[in-house]
Amino acid sequence: MKFITRILRPEQVRELVTLFLIVIIVLGFGAFLKDYYTGRTFVRISTSIAIIAVVAMAQTLVAITRNIDLSLGSIVGFCAFFLGVQLSYHHEIGPVPAALIAIAVGTAMGLINGLIIAYGRVPAIITTLGTMAIYRTAIVFYSAPEGGIVSAHRLPLWARQFASWSIFKMGDLDFRVMVGIAILVVIIFQLILTYLPYGRRLYAIGSNPEAARIAGFPAQRIVFIAYLIGGALAGLGGYLFLLQYGNLMVLAGVGLEFDAVAAAVVGGVNIFGGTGTAIGAFLGATLIGTLDYSLRRWPAISEFWRNAILGLLILLAVATDSAIMARLRLMWARAAAAMTMELAESKTSSSPQA
Amino acid sequence: MKAIAMRLIAVLVILSLVLTACAPAATPAPTQPPTQAPTQPPTAAPTQAPTAAPTKAAGPVKATPGKKVDMVLLPKFLGNIVFDQAYAGAQEAHKELQNPGQLQFLGPTPENSVAGQIEIITAATTQRVNAIMISNNAGDQIVPAVKKAREAGITVVTWDSPIPSAEGEQVFVAQVDFNETGRVMAEMALHILGEGGGKLAILSASPDAANQNAWIAAFKEVLKTDPKYSKLELLDIVYGNDQFEDSYRQALALVDKYPDMRLIMAPTTIGIAAASKAMQDEGLCDKVKVSGLGLPVEMVSYTLNGCAPEFALWSFTDLGYLTYYVTYLLATGAIKGEIGERFEAGRMGTYTIEKDPTRPVGLRVLMGPFSIYNKDNVEAEAK
Repeated sequence: MKFITRILRPEQVRELVTLFLIVIIVLGFGAFLKDYYTGRTFVRISTSIAIIAVVAMAQTLVAITRNIDLSLGSIVGFCAFFLGVQLSYHHEIGPVPAALIAIAVGTAMGLINGLIIAYGRVPAIITTLGTMAIYRTAIVFYSAPEGGIVSAHRLPLWARQFASWSIFKMGDLDFRVMVGIAILVVIIFQLILTYLPYGRRLYAIGSNPEAARIAGFPAQRIVFIAYLIGGALAGLGGYLFLLQYGNLMVLAGVGLEFDAVAAAVVGGVNIFGGTGTAIGAFLGATLIGTLDYSLRRWPAISEFWRNAILGLLILLAVATDSAIMARLRLMWARAAAAMTMELAESKTSSSPQA
Repeated sequence: MKAIAMRLIAVLVILSLVLTACAPAATPAPTQPPTQAPTQPPTAAPTQAPTAAPTKAAGPVKATPGKKVDMVLLPKFLGNIVFDQAYAGAQEAHKELQNPGQLQFLGPTPENSVAGQIEIITAATTQRVNAIMISNNAGDQIVPAVKKAREAGITVVTWDSPIPSAEGEQVFVAQVDFNETGRVMAEMALHILGEGGGKLAILSASPDAANQNAWIAAFKEVLKTDPKYSKLELLDIVYGNDQFEDSYRQALALVDKYPDMRLIMAPTTIGIAAASKAMQDEGLCDKVKVSGLGLPVEMVSYTLNGCAPEFALWSFTDLGYLTYYVTYLLATGAIKGEIGERFEAGRMGTYTIEKDPTRPVGLRVLMGPFSIYNKDNVEAEAK
């Protein structure tokens, strides 16, 4: 016990639990489904979670500060649309400038959210519920001259093929570029959240806003920047969305914000702020993606059951968070207290001889 | 100082957002119809007199333009281009018939389709519109709401997707013969797979969609009864709920589930495009082909690269146009909705109301026919 508390933090235990569940799911389904342990399964799951992992990162950032962003799906949709229309007319735009365009548009939309929430002091859930509808309407208007769609055949060749670009390939096992981008994003944000002062302040604000304010943190600015970065990530999500699906309708990205909440929550991000990690959210997305794919392949399961099982998983995750995490933290706190006691005792016992 | 400036900006942004939000609502909310003016429509009196004498003329009934009929065109949901095309067709007819009433295009969001459709019908009933045109996505669950509308004297016509029990519906405007759809799907499958046939699966829209379900039933029937298609084996039916992401994943899961499957048949425009993209991305187009009902503009690149060599569709613009004519004629009392009635629908010519052979009860007007698209004609159509 002492050993565990010394090398792991409660959050890491939570991440290990998620990882353990993923392994169990893979082993369980692998025992029943034919051709499950193949590179193909990896390709399916990894590509299906690339977009959601990026968007979940945005949701995680704002969730840590006790906020939420319901407009993420609409931002993803608008950025995908905006980029899709631009690419339809300007075939000379390459993959990197295209990504920057989408990120810039997403940042602008995040900026609007951030201004209203951080400086206008409007509750995040209300604000983003409003901008969710407004950004969606923006898609409708922006796409109207194009007939309400982006058509894959008008995109430049690279954009049509991007989804199958590979970083490395071993037989069936294929590690795609879009998966690489998602993982890179996760690593960057894990580092930011763990090591940068900005990242630590997000937790401070989320776990105790009052204390953070008294300590002199510029809370408004920190939340504002969180929405700005969240918008940028949703822009990147829009970029990936366009490249994966090619054909867009005005409903592109609908519901992604809730998928992002689900991934974050299953991965141990507390929507009441203060806890959660980038890796946790990524593992949450992986867990949902793995279960979703496996249930789709299961012959006897109708989609109603698939949705019910995924819903059950989210409930379970929230329940474990409130019940088990509290207990874990208590155990860790006790262990820490015991350790200081021991230290103090060893000091007092050794001091007389000195 | 800086904080104040920021707050000012924030307030400005909120204000501008509120203002922009007020102008166009995301889902066009059912607006109150203009308060019913007591003045009689001026055209009603003079037009009635001359038509009274030759009532039982043999020729097809013609619409009398200029009558006021407030109409609602209700698609399965908003955001699918085919429904926008149907609306464009209805608008064309609306203009042609110089209807001084309102034509509203109201629809639910896809994830709320069933409840949303019922809600819109109920709202339209309380607002006393004169006619509702429904592409039903709610199966028979829609019947109570539609019956209330009928009791309130509202004309109810279905198009694209009917009410399975036909209860509450006056007539259904069918895009194509639903049994014919099954045969066309089987024909395309055989054409793509070759005389030897092969295994295929269906990727449909939602499990509640009456039209898709009828087509799938017809397809199964053809496979069972016609020896020509006996080599086609249907493995599974899955649903992508007319969402691109969901359909994309379902298509790939099918490939993994059935290694010897050689064709995905998707009788829905979103499903067929999603399945084609999925096969293209995973380099599976040589092994698994895609076919079904698709929009040329969405399918052109997949048809040209061989992923979806052949697919079919009809004109949704024409469907909207014809539906409008049928509804206008019914609402103005020019036709009654009885078997054998013939009428003229503007540029599209003469149609007859008949018993719907694809349902136990109910009447239909059959539009038809199918257009089959392949690499020779898809580019021209996608323009």
